[in-house]
Amino acid sequence: MSSSIMGPPCSILFLLLLLVARAAARPLYPLPSKVDNGERQPLQTSRPYNIAHRGSNGEIPEETAFAYLRAIEEGADFIETDILSSKDGVLICFHDVTLDNTTDIAHRKEFADRKRTYEVQGVNTTGFFTVDFTLKELKSLRVKQRYPFRDQQYNGKFKIITFEEFIAIALDAPRVVGIYPEIKNPVFINEHVKWPKGKRFEDKFVGTLKKYGYKGSYMSKDWLKQPVFIQSFAPTSLIYASNLTDSPKIFLIDDVTIPTQDTNQSYWEITSDKYFDFIKQYVVGIGPWKDTVVPAVHNYLQEPTDLVAHAHAHNLQVHPYTFRNENQCLHFDFHQDPYQEYEYWIQKIGVDGIFTDFTGSLHIYQEMTTPPHPKDGGNDDHVMSLLHKIALLVSPYEKV
Amino acid sequence: MEAAALSRGSSFIFLVRFLCLIRIPFVLLRVRDITGDRQCAGFIILILVLYIGAAGAGRPLSPLPSKADDDVKKPLQTSRPYNFAHRGANGEFPEETAPAYMKAIKEGADFIEADIQATKDGILVCTHDVNLDDTTDVAEHMEFADRRTMYEVQGVNITGWFVVDFTLEELQSLRAKQRYAFRDQQYNGKFPIITFEEYISIALDADRVVGIYPEIKNPVFVNKHVKWSDGKKLEDRFVEMLQKYGYRGSYMSKEWLKQPCFIQSFAPTSLIYISNLTDLPKIFLIDDVTILTEDTNQTYAEITSDSFLNHIKDYVMGIGPWKDTVVPPKDNYLESATDLVARAHALGLQVHPYTFRNENSFLHFDFHQDPYVEYDYWINKIGIDGLFTDFTGSLHRYQEWTSSVSKM
Repeated sequence: MSSSIMGPPCSILFLLLLLVARAAARPLYPLPSKVDNGERQPLQTSRPYNIAHRGSNGEIPEETAFAYLRAIEEGADFIETDILSSKDGVLICFHDVTLDNTTDIAHRKEFADRKRTYEVQGVNTTGFFTVDFTLKELKSLRVKQRYPFRDQQYNGKFKIITFEEFIAIALDAPRVVGIYPEIKNPVFINEHVKWPKGKRFEDKFVGTLKKYGYKGSYMSKDWLKQPVFIQSFAPTSLIYASNLTDSPKIFLIDDVTIPTQDTNQSYWEITSDKYFDFIKQYVVGIGPWKDTVVPAVHNYLQEPTDLVAHAHAHNLQVHPYTFRNENQCLHFDFHQDPYQEYEYWIQKIGVDGIFTDFTGSLHIYQEMTTPPHPKDGGNDDHVMSLLHKIALLVSPYEKV
Repeated sequence: MEAAALSRGSSFIFLVRFLCLIRIPFVLLRVRDITGDRQCAGFIILILVLYIGAAGAGRPLSPLPSKADDDVKKPLQTSRPYNFAHRGANGEFPEETAPAYMKAIKEGADFIEADIQATKDGILVCTHDVNLDDTTDVAEHMEFADRRTMYEVQGVNITGWFVVDFTLEELQSLRAKQRYAFRDQQYNGKFPIITFEEYISIALDADRVVGIYPEIKNPVFVNKHVKWSDGKKLEDRFVEMLQKYGYRGSYMSKEWLKQPCFIQSFAPTSLIYISNLTDLPKIFLIDDVTILTEDTNQTYAEITSDSFLNHIKDYVMGIGPWKDTVVPPKDNYLESATDLVARAHALGLQVHPYTFRNENSFLHFDFHQDPYVEYDYWINKIGIDGLFTDFTGSLHRYQEWTSSVSKM
């Protein structure tokens, strides 16, 4: 058989291979960081988790690649994100159902006619909804900093990223960095976006995780290689997802006045002993709004509730949200000092993880007060860690 | 001086006890019987003189518990930059009140800082502004409504109720309030303005050595409005008060370490004047680049020039600049640092910049709304010798934590 006969089929085969490779959406060669997988610094598990809430969004517009890269640089244990969907069913990292507060949509004349009013969790909301834009259209927008008192210099520079891009950032980090994605507004998304073969938002969500090798129960070998927590305010979504994956899940709890979007249950019901007994079969922890754990009056803390004790009694972790450095977000007990707030929640209340907008600050606090256990054989680290431990022992006995 | 007062005090107590025991009228009767009226009168006068003497010394007659073990008080730390509690812990309490200072001491301050001005009747008090409007409830006191006036202060016309128009008694009828609306308001209306003496006793009565850092504040203005009968000025009264309480000695001398003190002022002539009166260390404060010195009308450029620093270093041992002139910001981001610190250090002058505050509105974006990152920058990158902070506790915590680990 001469090559001239084999020619065209070979080219076609080659082209097909290319298509397959592109569709797989991962580079054909392993990235530098993937080669030495075994050498990467593992996830620390000796102190409460530093969860970079929407990335390092105290400094950089939330949920952008840059915000996540910065969070990793600053020492995050996990990078957190909210997963919604575009009109064409692509999962994206974005917090609000509407684009108004965190993008330049208002300046986009080509989309001026897309403004809508929908009911979202019982509230009529007007704006430009992510579910009305294709991925391509969403990618043409630029993200801005949500809060005017934060750094505005990156406005208009970065795009919305996809769930897959978020995962790639975590997997390509020089050390093991976990992900903490949220099944966000599933009731609303499933109402507005339909996937082929009757698949739901939760199916696509878990499917993406599995595609990238996220598996294993909490603290299993698989999990420690690629740590993940799946979070949601919707208990039925979490229960549904537990049939699809054994990755650990966290049940988010909103303010005392907000009922769950899918089961319409009150705060009091979902924090009851009976409910914890039930939900603990599906989740490893809860994520409450911190002002419900320790309520505040006139910006001063009141007596803590027993929510944490309750949760811990059911072997449920507690990861409260959200910690922010700005003085208007700090109760007066903390004297405008974010480190004092960390100290209170970690030492006094005893939480297991902290969602913070300021990854760097929490990391510095933790490094100064509880450096991680030294690796075996790391002599210098070991000595410094020991000296530090000694210093910590001595200092309480000095008067001031 | 202290020992004398104490011995006078104890003598008096002994006398009182003795008299009570033998009952004065009975004694006088008996003495008069024996010695006649003149000697009795002399006895009474002696008692009165002793009493007045003890009272006039201005110290409590019995030693305070903390004074008993003077030598065992934990000494001032001198191994790392000083933590100056700027107007006390005024991030939490209304500035320059007794609780603000006591909290600062509790939180670990090395020095408590105050601004000293004078009342209408010449008493030295701790208060920052020339007027009372922003930090007291004077506006609610109907009895003082007619005292509202306008004066020129450092070339600017200011309207309000002025400290120099109130006697001490009147001032102490007012109540302090928190200056910033975004800080804790719960102590408004609770605490009075305190005197320089009361401030000093807070420092001396601490259970460890705590330094003081008083400022000769607005001396040009105060000396214009307040006249002492003996022709003395604010600067004289200021130093007298320090000497009365035993503050003396040059920087790091034995006496100084027992009772540490920095005297600060924006007015170079005041500092030069008092260097003839005391060898306590002095710090020359430097305002923003647009502000002239109140006494010599010199510009920022002039007073930070090599030649001026060379001249002033004979009188002061350091400078206290506004931090945004040391490292100027633009669009809330730091630009390159100036060479002010390097030049000051080259001349042997310490640098104590002001003022460090936790609130994000005061933090340049380089610090990511994190006051500890700001401390780290100034202490480790710029290399200053002391920090004026509104949040004593935060700085103390930062210094304690980082002194026990190597640099991160």
